[in-house]
Amino acid sequence: MNGMRTLLAGASTLALLAGPALAGEFVEWQDDGGAIIKLSPEYDSAEIRLSAEDLGGLFGPDELPFEGDEITVLTLDSGPKGGISGPLYAFRPVFEELSGASVDIALVPISELYTKIFLDLRNGTGEYDGMIVGAFMYGDLIDGNYILPIDDWRESGDFPAWSYDVMPDSLRNIYTWDGVGYGVLNDADGQVLYYRRDLLTDPEHQAAFKAEYGYDIPVPPDTLQHLRDIAAYFDGKNFDDNDAEPDSGVVLHLKVREQGLYHFMTLATSFAVTPGELSETQGVYWFNPTDMTPLINSPGHVKALEYLKDLAQFGPDAQVSWSLGEAWDYFLRGKAVFNFSYGDVAPLAQDETRSNIRGKIGSTILPASDTYWDMNQEEFITTDEPRKVGNVTGGSWHGTVSVLSDAPEATYAFWSLMATKPISKWLATYGWNGVDPGYDYQFLEPVGEAKLEDYLAAGWDETDVKEYLAAYYENFNAETMLPYLRITGTQEYYDILDSNLSAAMSGAKTPQDALDDTAAAWQQVTDRLGREKQLEAYQKAIGWQG
Amino acid sequence: MRWTSSIRNLFLMPAVVWVLVFTIFPLGYSLYAAFHTVTSETVVNRMEVPRLDKEGNPVLRSDGTPRMKTEVVRETVTNWEFVGLGNFARLFTDKVLHEAIKVTAIFVGVGLAVQMTLGLALALLFNRNMPGRSLLRTIMILPIFATPVAAGYLFFTIFYEEGGPLGWTGIPWLSSPHWALVSVIIVDIWQWTPFCFLVFLAALQGIPDELMEAAKLDTNSSWSTFRNIVLPLMMPTIVIVLLLRFAEAMKVFDIVASLTVGGPGNATQSLSYLAFRTGLRFFDVGYASAIAYTLLALVMVVVTILFKRIRTIYA
Repeated sequence: MNGMRTLLAGASTLALLAGPALAGEFVEWQDDGGAIIKLSPEYDSAEIRLSAEDLGGLFGPDELPFEGDEITVLTLDSGPKGGISGPLYAFRPVFEELSGASVDIALVPISELYTKIFLDLRNGTGEYDGMIVGAFMYGDLIDGNYILPIDDWRESGDFPAWSYDVMPDSLRNIYTWDGVGYGVLNDADGQVLYYRRDLLTDPEHQAAFKAEYGYDIPVPPDTLQHLRDIAAYFDGKNFDDNDAEPDSGVVLHLKVREQGLYHFMTLATSFAVTPGELSETQGVYWFNPTDMTPLINSPGHVKALEYLKDLAQFGPDAQVSWSLGEAWDYFLRGKAVFNFSYGDVAPLAQDETRSNIRGKIGSTILPASDTYWDMNQEEFITTDEPRKVGNVTGGSWHGTVSVLSDAPEATYAFWSLMATKPISKWLATYGWNGVDPGYDYQFLEPVGEAKLEDYLAAGWDETDVKEYLAAYYENFNAETMLPYLRITGTQEYYDILDSNLSAAMSGAKTPQDALDDTAAAWQQVTDRLGREKQLEAYQKAIGWQG
Repeated sequence: MRWTSSIRNLFLMPAVVWVLVFTIFPLGYSLYAAFHTVTSETVVNRMEVPRLDKEGNPVLRSDGTPRMKTEVVRETVTNWEFVGLGNFARLFTDKVLHEAIKVTAIFVGVGLAVQMTLGLALALLFNRNMPGRSLLRTIMILPIFATPVAAGYLFFTIFYEEGGPLGWTGIPWLSSPHWALVSVIIVDIWQWTPFCFLVFLAALQGIPDELMEAAKLDTNSSWSTFRNIVLPLMMPTIVIVLLLRFAEAMKVFDIVASLTVGGPGNATQSLSYLAFRTGLRFFDVGYASAIAYTLLALVMVVVTILFKRIRTIYA
């Protein structure tokens, strides 16, 4: 990205003008107590300036506050340049030079991350000082007292500075537990709808669509029902210039045990949640908050799964066995009109070595269904003004400190270095690294503090980035949010749902049977884990007042 | 030198220890677990102690106070709650388990039938003079040396439906529940047919030439010779191979884990994979042990029947 290089060159010049006081390989201390940190050539030799306040009181030119400490951090394996794990590799040498500590990065595939973390914690092995966790693991992490609260460190002024105040409530809630901080700011996950702006605004397609469906293509799509029509219209047409094969209306990542369930979770909210103040029948999605009876097989959920199945017919058949990377690749090659997924897709689309859709990718908060199940009236209601529902679906992968760590301060310091505003902002603007935007300073003015130039300099297309950041801002700040499940055994509840959804999407079960089986199995899990205990945790998680 | 009984016992000791530690203990432990709900918790005590420099002196902050570090003392407590036959009772109502038994049965039944038949046919083919026989035989047995996980990943790329080498067939190798199971079976057949072939070929070559020549005097029918001479003589080998392959196939794990992760849905989830996930993903160790014992019981029943068959053949 030439723009990025220009930005870096500018930053380097500024750094030289400021006058280096002490230059190390990765850290160049400044006279004002701040430092310019320099990443390796693998990360385009990027340079980021941190002020003395950003660095915290422990760090300084003559200080090695964690000299001799050896920490091991566990993360999901995407490799040294991949998503989530990449930034750890990028900032490890910087941290080692700043702190005197050494950092060992342990990698496991995402499908094994939960097992690795909890085997270590349950057996008391203490192999890992810190873990990158998904927020859905908090029920189990907190239940076992496996991770340390971090507020005292964060507020001490000793460590690299960052704040929960930059987070929207939706994200803050999943980084904390009962008002206490446990997670260090990093990734912000949620699913939005990506669409091919160039195709939806194409006059020929617009005219043909109107002739076939009787209304203009809404750009962006305003309801899930319209989205389905548009996907149906484009499916089978060869709209990319790269091959002679017909293309698809949509592409989904549906592989079982590889985050396939998240599509359904996100999409079902507008079908299944009855609007209104939280009550036994309103604002609830997972369980009845008075007795933990599963709601997952409610008529709204079933209709959502029927919709998803219907929509999936406009995608490639193979998507049932596709994980994120395969579906993203298909979309980036320009072979599908829609993909609803995480914040990784738009940054990936800017990389023209792997994307054909730079400058063509639109983003919007996921449209809502115009029909939802009303639990009060026990009937489907069709509305002219569907509620757009936000979500923090996914892991929002971030660092935590193990209660078994012998070097918790050093571990926290490593995570917090990457949470500082300059680094967190750099991670959001600079290419794809799995760390997706969600914080004030990453959104564009006037809702945020970021400037368009920051993103343009990093190589973003102007319209792409404007829509992308606006979509995520709206998503994370939506009035109605998909409730995030964070109770003990969430992994098992999810796994049961995931298997049954996959069975439905592959045709082995009907949507009704799949969700009935899910509900029955969830009842067994709840009974085994203790219904009263689970009920109490669920009520706390959703803010139930009784 | 006289071999006293104590010297003999000393030499036997490593084998006894091996069996006790690696066979008896895990069996006993998992059986015990199968009758319990197992939970563990880690009790952690953390102490703040002064951080010392290389010379052993306390490291001080800028305000002169000592910098502290944390020392952790931890103890893991495992709780065993006796549940009697509760875990085994769950086996009867667990739909996922029933699905896994069905998947495993199809995998073993179809896989072994094809492997044995194909292995025998190839052994008969290669048990005659033909050009390049040694080279072909060497190539034939190469799949045995691949680790199952590697084979799983290899076939993941081969079965990849969007542009993979078999994509042109239009077969939903991994996205259809039925075809996904076929795919897993194909990988197992690819890997283990050479084993059957190799052992059958050795057995064929062990049949005395005089016997075959005598048979030729009695009949011109190859089928008759095979059915009345070759097959009965090979039967002990066939049963042994069947037994070995059965015990191995019932435990299929690696191919499933690397090729399909048990999906779509639970369409390719084997009993071993389910037991693994129950124990190490959901930490339901007692129930996972009960599943593992069910698997063991199934294998034992069939193995016992096959052993009886071997005894009959030898008798």
